[in-house]
Amino acid sequence: MYNLKIRGRHIIGDKSLGQISGDIIAPIDAKTPLWWSAALVVSLGLFGWGIYSMYITVTQGIGTWGVNNTVGWGWAIINFVWWIGIGHAGTAFSIFLLILRQTWRTAINRAAEAMTVVAVGCAALFPLLHMGRPWLFFFIFPYPNTRGPLWVNFNSPLFWDFVAISAYLLISASFWYFGMVPDFATIRDTTKSKVKKAVYGFFSFGWTGSSREWLRFEALSFVLGGIAAVLVVSVHSIVSTDFAVSVEPGWHTTIFPPYFVVGAIFSGFAMVLTLVTLMRKLYKMESFITDSHVDAVCRVLIFISLIMGTAYLTEIFMAWYSGSTYEMYTFFKNRIFGEYAFQFWAMFICNAIIPQLFWFKTVRSRLWIVFIISILINIGMWFERFNIVITSLSHNYIPANWAEYSPTIIEIGLFVGTLGMFSAGVLLFFRYIPMIAISEVKSVAKYDKEQDLTRSLSHETSEKSKTQAQH
Amino acid sequence: MEKTYWRSLEELEDPKALRIREAREESKQKSLLYKKDEGDTGNSRRDFLKTLGFSLAATALISGCERPVNKAIPYLIKPEEITPGQASYYASSYFDAGDYGSVVVKVRDGRPIKIEGNELSSVSRQGTCARIQASILNLYDGARYKGPQQRSNTIKWHDADLEIVKTLDQLKQQNGRVVLLTQTVISPSARQIIEQFLAARPGTEWVQYDAVSASGMLNANVKSFGMRAIPDYRIDKASVLVSFGADFLGTWLSPVEYTRRYTDARRLDEGQRKMLRHYQFEAAMSLSGSNADVRFPVKPSEEGGIVLSLYNEIAKAKGAERLNGVMPKVDVTALAGELLENQGKSLVISGSNDENIQMLVNGINQLLGNYGQTILWESALQTKKGTDQEMQSLVADALAGKIDGLLIWGVNPVYDYPEGEKLEAAIRKMKLSVSFAERQDETARACEYILPEPNYLESWNDLEPRTGFYSLAQPTVSKLFDSRNVEESLMAWSGKQGSWADYIRNRWKTEFFTRQSEYTDPMLFWNYTLQKGVFEPGTNSSGAVWEPSGLAAAAAALEDAQTGAEVVLYESIAIGNGKYANNPWLQELPDPIAKISWDNYASVPVAFAKEHGLDNEHVITVNGIELPVFVQPGQAEGTIAVALGYGREYAGNVGNGVGINLFQQVSAKNGNRRYYLTNARLEPVEGKTYPLALSQTHHSMEGRPIVRETNLDEYLLKPEAGNEMHEEFEKKHVTLYPEKEFPAHHWGMAIDLNSCTGCGNCAIACQAENNIQVIGKEQVRNRRIMHWIRVDRYYSGDIANPDVSFQPVMCQHCDNAPCENVCPVAATPHSSEGLNQMAYNRCVGTKYCINNCPYRVRRFNWFKYVDNDRFDYNANNDLGRMVLNPDVTVRSRGVVEKCSMCVQRIQEKKQTAKLEGRMIGEGEIKTACQQSCPGNAIVFGDLNNPESRISKLFKDKRNYHLLEELHTLPSVGYLTKVRNKA
Amino acid sequence: MNRYMVGVFNDEFGLVKAFDQVKAGGNKIDEVFTPYPIHDVIVKMGRRTRISHAAFFYGIFGAASLLGFMYYASVISWPLNFGGKPTNAFPSFLVVSIVGTILIITILTLLTFSIRAKIFPGKAAVIIDPRATNDKFILVIDSNAPGFQPEKVEQVLKENGASEVYIHENPHAKL
Repeated sequence: MYNLKIRGRHIIGDKSLGQISGDIIAPIDAKTPLWWSAALVVSLGLFGWGIYSMYITVTQGIGTWGVNNTVGWGWAIINFVWWIGIGHAGTAFSIFLLILRQTWRTAINRAAEAMTVVAVGCAALFPLLHMGRPWLFFFIFPYPNTRGPLWVNFNSPLFWDFVAISAYLLISASFWYFGMVPDFATIRDTTKSKVKKAVYGFFSFGWTGSSREWLRFEALSFVLGGIAAVLVVSVHSIVSTDFAVSVEPGWHTTIFPPYFVVGAIFSGFAMVLTLVTLMRKLYKMESFITDSHVDAVCRVLIFISLIMGTAYLTEIFMAWYSGSTYEMYTFFKNRIFGEYAFQFWAMFICNAIIPQLFWFKTVRSRLWIVFIISILINIGMWFERFNIVITSLSHNYIPANWAEYSPTIIEIGLFVGTLGMFSAGVLLFFRYIPMIAISEVKSVAKYDKEQDLTRSLSHETSEKSKTQAQH
Repeated sequence: MEKTYWRSLEELEDPKALRIREAREESKQKSLLYKKDEGDTGNSRRDFLKTLGFSLAATALISGCERPVNKAIPYLIKPEEITPGQASYYASSYFDAGDYGSVVVKVRDGRPIKIEGNELSSVSRQGTCARIQASILNLYDGARYKGPQQRSNTIKWHDADLEIVKTLDQLKQQNGRVVLLTQTVISPSARQIIEQFLAARPGTEWVQYDAVSASGMLNANVKSFGMRAIPDYRIDKASVLVSFGADFLGTWLSPVEYTRRYTDARRLDEGQRKMLRHYQFEAAMSLSGSNADVRFPVKPSEEGGIVLSLYNEIAKAKGAERLNGVMPKVDVTALAGELLENQGKSLVISGSNDENIQMLVNGINQLLGNYGQTILWESALQTKKGTDQEMQSLVADALAGKIDGLLIWGVNPVYDYPEGEKLEAAIRKMKLSVSFAERQDETARACEYILPEPNYLESWNDLEPRTGFYSLAQPTVSKLFDSRNVEESLMAWSGKQGSWADYIRNRWKTEFFTRQSEYTDPMLFWNYTLQKGVFEPGTNSSGAVWEPSGLAAAAAALEDAQTGAEVVLYESIAIGNGKYANNPWLQELPDPIAKISWDNYASVPVAFAKEHGLDNEHVITVNGIELPVFVQPGQAEGTIAVALGYGREYAGNVGNGVGINLFQQVSAKNGNRRYYLTNARLEPVEGKTYPLALSQTHHSMEGRPIVRETNLDEYLLKPEAGNEMHEEFEKKHVTLYPEKEFPAHHWGMAIDLNSCTGCGNCAIACQAENNIQVIGKEQVRNRRIMHWIRVDRYYSGDIANPDVSFQPVMCQHCDNAPCENVCPVAATPHSSEGLNQMAYNRCVGTKYCINNCPYRVRRFNWFKYVDNDRFDYNANNDLGRMVLNPDVTVRSRGVVEKCSMCVQRIQEKKQTAKLEGRMIGEGEIKTACQQSCPGNAIVFGDLNNPESRISKLFKDKRNYHLLEELHTLPSVGYLTKVRNKA
Repeated sequence: MNRYMVGVFNDEFGLVKAFDQVKAGGNKIDEVFTPYPIHDVIVKMGRRTRISHAAFFYGIFGAASLLGFMYYASVISWPLNFGGKPTNAFPSFLVVSIVGTILIITILTLLTFSIRAKIFPGKAAVIIDPRATNDKFILVIDSNAPGFQPEKVEQVLKENGASEVYIHENPHAKL
């Protein structure tokens, strides 16, 4: 099961359970820090720009974007896929690591899940806005109607997409929420403020921590975890079919589903890293989010980045191997050496090359480098989606149709708006929700104790844990 | 009466008044309708058409627009020929600015909504050109004058007549000079009336003026044959055609007619083994040049030398005397040899307006014995009569103040003659200046009286495009505005009574009736001719006699080739001489070669651009005039080309200020206007750019099998030449699941790339038929043009003189349509007849189908294009919306649209066939693009019928499908392009 | 009026030991409140749940109904020709049924959970000792049972490191 030799302790410093909940709840009871309010104002400002852009888009039409009769999808879809990718972190973290019994996840999964919910929310905006007639979006529901037999097209990847996204949003949200119920109860029972007691009391759904509750709670989380694991794989596979099922050169390829899923987890983990490093600094959570946690995520990233690189090379090889002039043009003339070379190489370097630095312990142990690399990965992943969406569309089969695409201020506004929405959401999470799953951390804290008691610790690991303690 | 009608338009708000008036009119027309009208009595058809106007008042404004029907006013007595919701067709004729076309006008609920070609005419033969197609929109042009006015005050016709007659009389007493300035008049009756007018008012002169004239040719023909006319070029009879800068497929003289003859001489779809070979000498890449088998880029000033040396080569072989003159820049011995092999089967033409060159060309044709074979004088062309010398002296006199009265009809010299602004000033000073302009123009603005003439769709006319080939024009709608035919004005001023309509009818019943034997009763003759629209007795004697003297003089007079830069000024395919610059359809039609709309521009040679570091949308000055640059492969070294007809100042809100006017640069050389400038000053403007609305930016096929072509010799060896891969793909034809059956019909279309000249007529025909919206320059530049059928143009080979291929692309109606699978809301499924359908009201606009269409034929409504001030074109006002076709939905913002293969036409014909209890006949259904294609390149039909033309073409070895390797199974086939290089 | 003896522990180890001995002493243990789940206790409490079985059947139901609906919609009710594909495009249907099934499972399982575990919005918590959600492990023993010897039990608890032991008077009928 869990081995301190390899992973190091979950929690630095011999904290009692009381201290654990105390430390984690502290930010919620503390008075709002100035930087927090400032950051929130900025985020809301950005979000405001986004709202304005949405207004223009809906009232005047997507003619206000840079898309045209050749490049039908632009930034909107790029951002959609990007956000969905980021939205995979939470589930990937909680579910996979839960299934793999990686108890070190406990310090991070709450933040990851919160991020997921906000990110998927951001993502869901774009398919809605990029419709020509968003007010008729409900046409996509196969609802019984009086228009004679009139259903939807079950062959359309967009319909699959729609089902997948809504399922994903609902499930990750509920998974996240039910994970928080016991913690809300903890706040309810520890806080001094009457208001908080009432509010968190309401949200804790009357949780008491009885064995009956815990029993079903565990069962529930395993059921949800189990099916959500399928979802992590299926959602982005389905998103990838938006492209893989089409006939466009550079889209029509079978590698897309796994490639997208891995990419999603990649960007998700990177975003988790970004967030967690911030959280750790801003809220002094070093004792819960230990260096070994960061270290573990970095190692995972090395591995995924290798897969990404392989996927890119496979794509290119297949393009050449297929012998299709269209495929070859898209990859060689258009992406690698063509006018979109910058975007291609930005993607390749950020995703396949730079993360390899994590092989070096010095890099892994320097938080600011880790932070920067995590940002770079997210940029790289954005460019990957740009590569896929734009380059294939702009230069496709019939050269007479070839057209360039560049975003308008409105499209940029929408993207920035979602960034604002995301950061605002995350800030609210920091402020009002225990950012670490208290009960879970407690449940794993005992492993540290157990293994301290049993003198099974060899000396160097005790050295190790000591050194970590000093951090 | 017309007034009554127009008021009713405004009184839509007051249906009661309307109904009362309507009742009155109905009863009147009923009494008239069945009356045998003999000559002078009330003319039933006109009144009847007036009543048509009422159905117009009722339905027109409302149908087509997205607004719900507020008031539908029923007929009290239904006119016999009108069934609401069913179109009626009237034969008519179009002639303006040199374009002639015999047409059939589709009238729906009282509104003319579409122009079709008239297959009965042996002149235009069912073909039209973009300008004729778009002329329907001119009828609903807001820039038309709403009524007679004097110095922009409205005036009654009666008063105007009184005043003008008074002034005319005064001028007569003072021996003042009065000139009637018209464009070429090809109406025999109008000519007669003008003669009578001139007779009735001695001292009045008549000058015919063509903005782009054939004056040099006319003069040359006078000298060579004693004929002031243009012979009939039977390209279809020739096997070698040499054109010196004549864009006969695009703008030269009678392009519609020539296009059909040209394609007839080049088609191979029925097993023909012979094919016309086409040589083109030209500076600018013209439509004809782009279709030529062999093209020589030469400077305009070098033409004389080449023509002369060609003449001499042939003369040498024929033992005729050789002429001395300038030295040629190109060796033409081989060409001469080929011409000599095809004596009597060859044809040499020149677009030059230099009469010396034209005389030598006549000489060449004479030596080759082409007259009587490929060049006929019997049916001489009448559409260009203006002589520049007359115009020149007229303008000179006008500027010198020697003209006291000017009556201007159908021409706009202030805009298209040099020193226009001076002329304008002169006109303002004249004692009498009358313009008969139908719509705003710069000259009318200067005139004291504006007495608007009706649109050709509102008026009677008879036309004679060729000697002995007549056609009639009849009103298809009651006059929208308070206008009067010029002929009536002239009759009134020469003291004659009666209406123009009566005049024509009488003349036809008396004079023309005698020239035929088919009908014994004048009434029958008249009615049937009116129904057919054409009357072609022809002539058998030409009276042309060859006069060789003067050739030597002509040769000697030829000018030397210039060294400096030369600027070719040409008529653009869409805008022509700019008369209809206010027509948004024409403005938005991309130029067939440059694919640029909404502007004229300087086409510069590639080498020149490289040398000066120029690129598209850069700016250069030509003799001080700033022009945007378009880098044009095939543009001759040392030349640039700029289109005329742009830069109108007073055309209407659409046409005003579009492009630059270069007519002012056109100078006269020994009497004839010369449409190119020599020794021009070209200076790049550093760092300045000007946006151009390009709708195609990539010009190479990148070696993809998109337009498949071969050469005649290879084709004769094996018909599948250039199309070998089609076999391969047919062999590889496999499928995972059973392919769908189309039991009833399976509609398909075949396009013969050999017959498509790329003229763009189909785009406008489609636009008129399918209510396709105009989106303006900015949006076209954003690559959002709405045309359902576009003509792709590719270059191959030498960039200095490339081969050009055209390919019309519309929805391919794939049986395995990629677009259909991906629509989440099932807005575009496949019909049981193999059509790819769009359900506009179901579409939510995910644009996935656009992305997944490998042909990129789907169009998206990025904005609300109807009733939106940002797009202030015809769809933004009630008048302009009258052109909408009620059978086709007007698409809302945010939905995808595309070619429907004119499903409304298919349905209509299916219903008629069903009512008549029969099968649909082969070729009975014609799509809009097919119907008026001047090259007859498009064939539509039922693939399930093995006898149909389409099925045969699909079996043709030349047939292939676009991107067939994707196994989308398109219902559209293309026949390989076959060139005929030496 | 139910009376309970409540034992408060500082860590789970003590609680588990005490649990066994109290049980061995023939006493009925009503409930255990802990900050995090302790498996052996849950097992020893003899509680079992069938939520996962329920989820499985929800899944079967979901998949079947989804596939059935799609077949009905696109083959029986409204057969359309999309790009020449068969109306019964089974592989396409699979995609939606997988995700849709997951959605159905989630919703129904959540419902089942909040019904069975009595966890739902606005429920007022029945709190024996508020510290149970923080850092204390609470053992609640039914002291109404016949033959219940408070001193003995209290001693057992104390021996196993109960930080405190007290009697809780619960107005409610049952926990």
